[in-house]
Amino acid sequence: MPTTLPPAPAAHDVQDGATAAPALALRNVTRVFGAHTALDGVDLEIAGGEVHCVLGENGAGKSTLCNIVFGSMPPTSGQVLLGGERFAPASPADALARGVAMVHQHFSLVPTLTVEENMLLGRGVRRLRPDRAGLAARLAAIAETLGLRVDLDARAEDLSVGARQRVEIVKALLDDPRILLLDEPTAVLGPEEVDSLLATCRRVAAAGTAVVLVTHKLGEVMRVGDRATVLRGGRVAGSGPLARDDAPDRPGGLGAADLVGLMVGRDASSLDPVLAASVGVVGQGPAPQGRQEAARTADRTVAQTSVRDTTDGRDAGTPPVLVVSGLCVDDADGARRVDDVDLAVRPGEIVGIAGVEGNGQSELVAALSGALRPSRGTVRLGGTDITGAGPRRRTALGLGVVPEDRHHEGVVTGLSVTTNLLLGRLRRFRRFGLLDRRAMQASAADLARRFDVRTASLDAPVSSLSGGNQQKAVLARELSLDPLRCVVAAQPTRGLDLGAVDDVVGHLRAAASAGVGVLVVSSELSELLVLCDRVHVAYRGGLRGPVPTDAPDARDRVAHLMTGAAA
Amino acid sequence: MIPTLTDLLVASVALAVPVLVAASGELVGERAGVLTMSVEGMMLTGAFASVVGATASGSAFYGVLCGAVAGLLVGVLQAVLSVLLRADQIVTGLAANALALAGTTFGARLLLDRGTTVPGFARIEIPLLADIPVLGPALFRQTGLAYALVAAVVLLAIVTSRRTGWGIAVDAVGQDAASADRSGVPVLRVRFTAVLVVGLLSGLAGTQLALSEVHTFTDNMTAGTGYLAVVAVIAGSWRPVGVAVAAVVFGLAQALQFTLPALGVDVPFALLVMLPYVLALLAVAGFVSHSRPPAGLNTAFVRQGRLA
Repeated sequence: MPTTLPPAPAAHDVQDGATAAPALALRNVTRVFGAHTALDGVDLEIAGGEVHCVLGENGAGKSTLCNIVFGSMPPTSGQVLLGGERFAPASPADALARGVAMVHQHFSLVPTLTVEENMLLGRGVRRLRPDRAGLAARLAAIAETLGLRVDLDARAEDLSVGARQRVEIVKALLDDPRILLLDEPTAVLGPEEVDSLLATCRRVAAAGTAVVLVTHKLGEVMRVGDRATVLRGGRVAGSGPLARDDAPDRPGGLGAADLVGLMVGRDASSLDPVLAASVGVVGQGPAPQGRQEAARTADRTVAQTSVRDTTDGRDAGTPPVLVVSGLCVDDADGARRVDDVDLAVRPGEIVGIAGVEGNGQSELVAALSGALRPSRGTVRLGGTDITGAGPRRRTALGLGVVPEDRHHEGVVTGLSVTTNLLLGRLRRFRRFGLLDRRAMQASAADLARRFDVRTASLDAPVSSLSGGNQQKAVLARELSLDPLRCVVAAQPTRGLDLGAVDDVVGHLRAAASAGVGVLVVSSELSELLVLCDRVHVAYRGGLRGPVPTDAPDARDRVAHLMTGAAA
Repeated sequence: MIPTLTDLLVASVALAVPVLVAASGELVGERAGVLTMSVEGMMLTGAFASVVGATASGSAFYGVLCGAVAGLLVGVLQAVLSVLLRADQIVTGLAANALALAGTTFGARLLLDRGTTVPGFARIEIPLLADIPVLGPALFRQTGLAYALVAAVVLLAIVTSRRTGWGIAVDAVGQDAASADRSGVPVLRVRFTAVLVVGLLSGLAGTQLALSEVHTFTDNMTAGTGYLAVVAVIAGSWRPVGVAVAAVVFGLAQALQFTLPALGVDVPFALLVMLPYVLALLAVAGFVSHSRPPAGLNTAFVRQGRLA
């Protein structure tokens, strides 16, 4: 008894305005987690055939909204209507059965299965014999209408991030969904892949599907969105059709500046350039269409007016504090993750490493912090070879590390804020062999004040802090090392709200102007361009560049390198 | 020499079949991400129930039914604990084993007379094949239950292979339960069913031991065979053929303790008894295979209920 896949669909009827029920509607939806209200009385209407962007900072409630619509969690109160009918999915399986599909930020592909097996998953579970022929026919239809092709026999884990996401999208489209949710789909993509993703969104919408694009990057919204809803602190801050250059019949729509204002709750012109960059007022790389021009001009302005601390110690004559030469790192399977990397950071200099995630940045940072042993090459800190040194010796020599995975590597979540802040130098607080808790309290309170770590109590476990405050605690610990000669910060602003991004960036700049060498690894190109003096690009384990960020075409050059092109 | 080799193989196969049957079930459970340590308890309970059932009814077939149901019941208990209640899979498994040992020992005093033999299964010789020298007696002079169980093991390997929807689903929930859930796979149902399969096959493995080989119930008669089954899954790299090979090796190692003394080889008996477990230790320590266990093994699934 073979599974019957639905036949390739006829185009949905495009709904005409008020007469038909919206494809998806949220009515006064609230979701509470303990004391935290993630969504607070949200109303939202999405019509078939439109690309509706849901915007907001991290923590604004975007993911919660997706999870509710996709059946991963129920709302605390309020209603969801699907095509006018009550919709309360108990599981993702329910949502899929009702025609709601989702492209997850971190994918929903089982890494060890092949692409075909992943596609069959969920439709063939109750079947002994999955319908491979039906799947092939449907895939051929999708390839024809959308131009999306996938390699059925490849294992999901062997695919590049871009190819994996293509599979994820095709998988979501298999059952011809009424609603397609995309949760931060561009976070892991390079500029060209973003372009093709956005084009796909438009084509899917043109077939009548309601496309919900969840993002915090404004450039993308301005390029593909028909309408936008902005969430702030769990509430709808504003909603409406978007102003687009190619749709002059819609004057008075929301423009980029309006959206930024709604997202952060203040006038866009008062934003620090780094903040503006982090919400993506700037375009995502080379833009193919004219309607992107406004956003790109904004980007130029940001890059040129960016305020960088100019320090005296940063001239080329100063010997570098961190020198990496010929560094290679292999993973457990023997695959080369970092390939012959040369890098130098001078005192007072901020050097950035850009690139799509998974190009060896994590392994490079792990090798610098002592977590991974390089297979070749050397790392020197202030003239001392630390290639084989343990983390403890690196710390003693003045290397601060802000790790990528805050929860697992940055803090010990169960211990108090005080202990976490002082963990590396507990020996200094020894008195008669015991810890002098009063001195620790005083020292921790001082650090917390200087780095603005907000906590109810310094004795509270660090897990009770918000992500931004945890990150500030890590920075406080690493930047207060004595001596401090170099700081390596991996994805230091990931998952932080705008205020915290501002603080983190400020502290890194302050460290640099105090003569510390700073190396920042980030996938947020816009942030790097305004923060750093020069930016390298990680590509397949190697480093390209550097590109000096005061060059007028710095963004284009870096974006070009990210695609793997030669410098 | 030839007769002794034949004896060795006969004893090996006799000891390998229960390990093979239980390990095949455990393989499905582990592929689905549930580490069922209670295989030993399931086997012992199955052996006990089958002997009680066969004695009470006078029929070996009812004995098999009782053994299968008893294994299933322990499976239900284990599944409720480790899949639904998300209790620690190893701790609950070991507790179930202790409970099964105590329960069956007590039950044997209560229900069974010491030393009674039960109507078990008679050996069936397959014409011609059974006359093959050395291999024939070992492979083709087994009980009907043994033939049926080996057939069941092969069938199970086929329907849970990656050619089937079930097999894909089993691997998916064991490798990446969150992704499987988002793809619409009923994760808890698949895992619960997988643990039931472990219970059913382990109960039948105990039944095979009691009704085909020993023809009685003795206290702690499985004596670690269930743990060997768990090890066989690791040594076999979570692949059916590998698991079968591992089960045969363990059977062989166990058989040596009977055959070597009979040959007059002067090895301390205690060392021979240790042999299978020494092999098991080496296998678990990674000397046999370096393949990775299912990524979600021994990890309970709960749908993401909070903000990331």
